[in-house]
Amino acid sequence: MPERASDRLVRMLGMIAYLERHEDVPVDQVAAQFGVTPEQVMADVDTLWVTGTPGYLPDDLIDFDASSYEQGVVRLTEGRGVTRPLRLGPREGVALLAALRSLTALRPALDAERAAALDSVLAKVQAATGDAAAGVPVDVELQVGAVPAVAAAIGAALTGRRRLRLRYVDASDVLTERDVDPVRLVSQDEHSYLLAWSLAADAERKFRVDRIVEATVLDAPADEHPLADDADVFQPDASGELVTVRLAGRARWVAESVPVERTRELADGMFEVDLRVVQPAWLRHLLVQVADEVIDVRPPHVAQDTAGAARAALEAYGPLLGTTTGEA
Amino acid sequence: MPPAIPPAERLLNLVIALVNTPGRMTKEQVRTSVAGYGDARSDEAFERMFERDKDTLRELGIPVLTVTHAGHGDDIGYRIDTATWSLPPIELTAAELGVLALAAQVWQDQSLRADSTRALTKLRAVGTAPEAHDLVAGLAPRVRAGGDAFAPLVDAVQNRQAVRFTYHAATTGEVRERRVEPWKLLARRGGWVLLARDRDRGASRSFRLSRIRGTVRPVGSPGGFEPPTAQELADASRAWVGDGPERTALLAVTPQRAGALRARATPVPSDVALPPGADVVLRGRDLVAVPYRLHWELAEELVGYGDAVVVLDPPQVRDAVVRMLRVAATLDRLPRVTGERAFARPAEAGPDVEEARGA
Repeated sequence: MPERASDRLVRMLGMIAYLERHEDVPVDQVAAQFGVTPEQVMADVDTLWVTGTPGYLPDDLIDFDASSYEQGVVRLTEGRGVTRPLRLGPREGVALLAALRSLTALRPALDAERAAALDSVLAKVQAATGDAAAGVPVDVELQVGAVPAVAAAIGAALTGRRRLRLRYVDASDVLTERDVDPVRLVSQDEHSYLLAWSLAADAERKFRVDRIVEATVLDAPADEHPLADDADVFQPDASGELVTVRLAGRARWVAESVPVERTRELADGMFEVDLRVVQPAWLRHLLVQVADEVIDVRPPHVAQDTAGAARAALEAYGPLLGTTTGEA
Repeated sequence: MPPAIPPAERLLNLVIALVNTPGRMTKEQVRTSVAGYGDARSDEAFERMFERDKDTLRELGIPVLTVTHAGHGDDIGYRIDTATWSLPPIELTAAELGVLALAAQVWQDQSLRADSTRALTKLRAVGTAPEAHDLVAGLAPRVRAGGDAFAPLVDAVQNRQAVRFTYHAATTGEVRERRVEPWKLLARRGGWVLLARDRDRGASRSFRLSRIRGTVRPVGSPGGFEPPTAQELADASRAWVGDGPERTALLAVTPQRAGALRARATPVPSDVALPPGADVVLRGRDLVAVPYRLHWELAEELVGYGDAVVVLDPPQVRDAVVRMLRVAATLDRLPRVTGERAFARPAEAGPDVEEARGA
């Protein structure tokens, strides 16, 4: 997709402001500063060179030192009055500030240096957005959900490229221990997981960080592993049992937040989702949460299994509930 | 014919012209003198081009002022206000730019991502060195897109402008138009939620963005409603963000089970008061204290453990769990008739759950 004119304009204005503050900057360094290729920097300089005030005679134009430029060094000699760094637009300030604030949830995974950088940049951007900072209309909370020591170990292993030993409780509440090479910590508004290469499975695996009971950074360095681009996207597991759940409209969130294979809209706002179920415990948990909205489940043994588990759990509550047990 | 001037170059010429103009420039002056506008083939094409460019500059935070001549109301000119042009004087380190670059990746929503990326570009101009990537290696924060309704709602909240939209209420299945005063957008637990005052009901309501159908349209003018008080906003967001300090739940947990819960357990207070019957439940089970913020959130997590975890306290969490289990215990009597509820929820039983899941 070609770059938008407004994005390029903002970068060119940013370059003028930057070059006003830094004399004699090599093209490569300008490119690194703005996260673009050296070729793009040269294209931008060429454009800047021919822009200016109406009339567009040599004295009207933005100008660079031509002999430096031949040596691959950019020196701004005339900025035509647009040399001060441009303030943030209202939406820009909101977008960046809300994102920065959401990062504070990652603090347990940051070392002291990174945590300090987060704090200081947050204060600076808040200052830069002024009034807008007071009532940011967007509020995001990333759910990391890790025990602080686990988050710290994951952060350290990722930064230091080291292997991790995990004690992990899976969806069936079974505790296992395994060594992994961590790839990334994906933190989202719903929950977070560690994408890692499991040495035992010799394959990539995702670990919900709120189920990692213990993480130990090992001395061994983490190896590089070939990962697919979409490795951190949850896909329905084709090997799982196909289960179809028919739900009332109120349970719409299921279709929105669970990796469903297919959704079918039905009359009266009802809908059906096809799920691939590898771990029955996971489906039981889901069905209990939406039980009030379940119209039907196929195959039937899945619903019977859930009902049985629910009755067993209710029985455990018996002593607390007195005579009201078993009602409904 | 000379080659057409690219849009970015035309915009930059317009910026420089309006910054340097001694007083102001009229549209006609822009058309005849600013490089790039001579390309317009008709009056209409020029008008469109100029209006669009002006809007673009304003969206970017460039202060384009409209200047009218005293006594000549229809004689409109433009200039850029250099007094409000700049960022406050800040400098950013390589580490700080690294954190900003990470923040700019948070949004999966295209419009928010474009906005935060442009903000990053502007702040790179006041960076002392290129950003340090290694500092944030391996972190991938992500917030899902809010859909088409998102951008207009952000604008409406900022401009304090009422909006109307068609909403599919999951509670009732009802689809109808809502007129609301938008207060705030929250991303929580896998979805975007709008907190707003519903004008027809005269009360605050939460709306899931995924249930907004069609276009969000402005109603009235910007500044058209009073912003909520801090208290109103806190009340409206309570079901989503929890209120006050962390709470502690007391659980009876089967040995060797619920390792994930045990990992975040806190020491059981010595003066703890247990409900009647707890002693029986605790035979063969461990007493575990777990901190949490929202009753319904914890309840939804705990039902996943079946009989391995029994909630002793507080009653709100215990009741929410028991309620879910009672309904689930009827799941072997399917299919249900449409609309039939297996178990009517008592009114007092957790507005939390109703509000948070339904809205």
